[in-house]
Formats: sequence, structure tokens, C-alpha cells
Amino acid sequence: MATKTAQNGKEDLDIKIRSRKVNVYYGDTHAIKDVDIDIEANTVTAFIGPSGCGKSTFLRCLNRMNDTIDVARVTGEILLDEHDIYARDVDPVQLRAQVGMVFQKPNPFPKSIYDNIAYGPRIHGLVANKSELDEIVESCLRRAALWDEVKDRLDEPGTSLSGGQQQRLCIGRAIATAPHVLLMDEPCSALDPIATAQIEELIDELRQDYSVVIVTHSMQQAGRVSQKTAFFHLGNLVEAGSTEKIFTSPEDERTQNYITGRIG
Amino acid sequence: MDVAHIVSKFDEELNKIEALLLEMGGLVESQIRNSIEAVRTRDEALAQIVMETDIRVNELEREIDDLTVRVLALRQPVASDLRAALCAMKVAGNLERIGDYAKGMARRMDDIYTHGRTFDGPFAALLRMSDIVQGMLTDVLDAYVSRDLEKSQIVWRRDDDVDTIYTSIFREILTYMMENPTHITAGMHLLFIAKNLERTGDHVTNMSEQLYFLLTGDKFDESTMNIIAFGGRDG
Repeated sequence: MATKTAQNGKEDLDIKIRSRKVNVYYGDTHAIKDVDIDIEANTVTAFIGPSGCGKSTFLRCLNRMNDTIDVARVTGEILLDEHDIYARDVDPVQLRAQVGMVFQKPNPFPKSIYDNIAYGPRIHGLVANKSELDEIVESCLRRAALWDEVKDRLDEPGTSLSGGQQQRLCIGRAIATAPHVLLMDEPCSALDPIATAQIEELIDELRQDYSVVIVTHSMQQAGRVSQKTAFFHLGNLVEAGSTEKIFTSPEDERTQNYITGRIG
Repeated sequence: MDVAHIVSKFDEELNKIEALLLEMGGLVESQIRNSIEAVRTRDEALAQIVMETDIRVNELEREIDDLTVRVLALRQPVASDLRAALCAMKVAGNLERIGDYAKGMARRMDDIYTHGRTFDGPFAALLRMSDIVQGMLTDVLDAYVSRDLEKSQIVWRRDDDVDTIYTSIFREILTYMMENPTHITAGMHLLFIAKNLERTGDHVTNMSEQLYFLLTGDKFDESTMNIIAFGGRDG
């Protein structure tokens, strides 16, 4: 388990996000129960589990997206680089610049391709002038493996792109604010296999600079893109460990039944 | 695994692989039993049956391979299903080889008799060795069916006895051959039969190691095997 790193008192430098006893309630519903997990730097961590198991809810705790839901209540501790992200002095907007998010359905702004990328750096004051902004737009589109396809039509609306291109644009937009962590909530579920493969290739490249946490319903995708896998069931984190271990010899019977496609 | 897959076809395919493997196991058991019996009683018809059975054994290995490849490609099995598929393929490979050894023994049967005496001492040892090897093969197949780790580990340890008997047979036959060069042809044939049995024991231990991976998910490690065989997992 990833948490062992901390328990063993080993060097903790590689832990990007640390969650301790995290509980989430939607009104009376107890959606997440005492989740302890360490998200490592430069690692892709996959959250898997049946619908309603809480994996997306927990993902949204990591950049305080649950703040936007009135009835949601989060307890416990989530540390990003050892700083409590739920501390009173933390601005959720700043936090979300550091912990970016990509959603299931590509959701580019109704703006030009250029402005989709430029929006974040502008509002966060990350650039001094137009040429710096141009550089950021180009480098982010390159990092998102989209530059060559759009460099001649940066003024066209983001929504004019194909689904896969739109999703890469959203990834480019997420990394434009120089985040530490990228959260992806089923980023390929609306894409065809080619676009999916391009996103997966991109995720692997992004890992060099970011921690990536991906929620996916596809076991094969979890196996292909992640180094760590965490299995959620009924709001509990059942098992977390190396992806290879989870997919060859999981320890918990619930994990085994889920990943092998059995009724558990 | 008691819990059924949501996709019932997946269960059907895994069950089919297992059924083919058990058919193969039964045939290979009969091959070893019959080849030794043919050697013991100079039964040519029985030796012929062993050789003919090998055709079906080879076919079964191909069928298991094909079906496993199909399951890997189309179902992408993971965890215990993945281990079951890989294990079936490897166990089938070992069984096929054991079948070849039985065929080899059956083919040499007549040569022992046509080239003179049968060396009573080594011959008795050979039959003792064959009892152990046959028992090991039966037990490892039973352990496979019942997913019995302990039984499989006991099998693994019994190979030491097989190796010991083989070494003594080797020395004895060597002595006979040195004493009298006319014993060399029969001696060599008997020695090859003993060697085939010894190799059969090795393939049975391989199967026991594959069963270890299937049941525990861990790669087989000789040191762990010793501990577990002697005193349970925490012992």
C-alpha cells in the first residue's frame, strides 16, 4: 500500500498528496469513509471501482470541487506538499490552478483555441506580456500533443475541434497554470480508440512533470496508463498498490471480484 | 473460484480450458503407467497404446494453447483468471513433455529384453521410482483440481526421493556396464528409461511451482516453499 511509505518513516519527498481519514457526506449519505492514501509524484494513479463507489467524489476532494456542492461536507485531512488544502487561508481558485482537472466530456470554453489556453495564465497573472503568453500557449499545446494540428487556426473556436482534440485542448488548458497535479475524471469515456490512445500516450508523457490521478471505468485503461491503482467500493478504499500487483494478485476478494468481472 | 463471471461465456471458456487440461492429465497419467507396465511385462501392445495416446495428448496441448490465446486476446483476463490461463498453458506444456517421455520409454521397452538381461537390482529400483513419480503426477493433478496448495507442495518435496533413486540406479548400471561391455546396450536403454522418469519428476515439480503461482499470486521461491511445506504459511 502506498501509505506504507509514510508508516515506515521513509523519505516522504515523493508523496505529492497525502489524505488521512477523509470522509465525505452528501447530506445524510456517507459517501467516502476514512480514506487514507498517498499520491506519489510523477506517478499515474488510477481510481477504479463500480459506479457510485465514491471514486469521483474522492477525486473531487483533491481540488475542493466538492465545495461547489452545498450539501457536501468533507472531514479529515488532505495535504498537498504537506500543506492542508482545506486550511482556512487556502483560496480554492488558487488551489485548482495547482491541482488541475479534466472532465469526462471535453468542455472547452466557448472561445478561440488560443484563448482556451491563455485564460488561466491571464487570470492568475502568470504572464507579463503578449509574447510570454504566446510562448505558454505554444508550449502547452505542444505538451498536449495538439500544436501541429491547430497551429494554423488558433483563432478558431475550441468547440470546432474533434472530440479527441477538444479533450487534448482541455488538458492543455489544465497544464497552462503550471499545476503540480492533474485530476482526470474518465477523460476518455467519450472518445474513440484512436483518440483514447493519444490521450493515454499524453498521460504517460505528462507524468514526467505532474502527478496524474485518473478515474476510469476501463480496467484495461487503468492497467495501461497507471503505475498505482486504488480500488474503491461502497465509499471505502479497499486496496491500493502497484497496478501490476492489483491486476495479477489483488489481496482483497472484493478487488478480485470486481476486476475479474464477477458479481461480488 | 466460486463466484461466477457476469459474462457467462468467459466462465465457459475457462472451464473448457480446465476440462481439456484434466483430460490431458488423465491421458498422460495412463501413458506413464502403461509405459512402465509395458517395460515390466514386455507388453508390446501396451507400448503401442502409449505411443498412440501421445497423438491425442499433443492435440490437446494445441487445443489448450489455442483456447488460452483466444481468452487472453478477447477477454483480457486479470488476477486469478490471468493466472489460471497462464498456468493452464504452462501445465499443458509440462504434460506434453511427460507424454513424450512416456512414449520414449515405451519405444525402448523391447530393446532391454532383446539385448540380454534386465539387471534385477536397478530394475526393482526403477519400479520403485516409477511408483513415486506416478504418485506425484496423480497428486499434483488432484491438487490442481482441488486447488490444494499443501498437497502440491508435498509433491514438490517428493522429487528429492526420485533424484536419489535415479542416482543409485545410474551408479549401479554403470558398474554393470564396466564389468561387462555386452551389458552396455541394455544398460543404456534402461538408463534412458530411468532418466525419462527422473525428468518426469522434474516436470511434475514444475507443475507444482505453477500451481503455487496460481494459488498465491507470488512467484515460486524455493526457500518459501520449504518453509510452507514444513510448517504452514506463518510457520
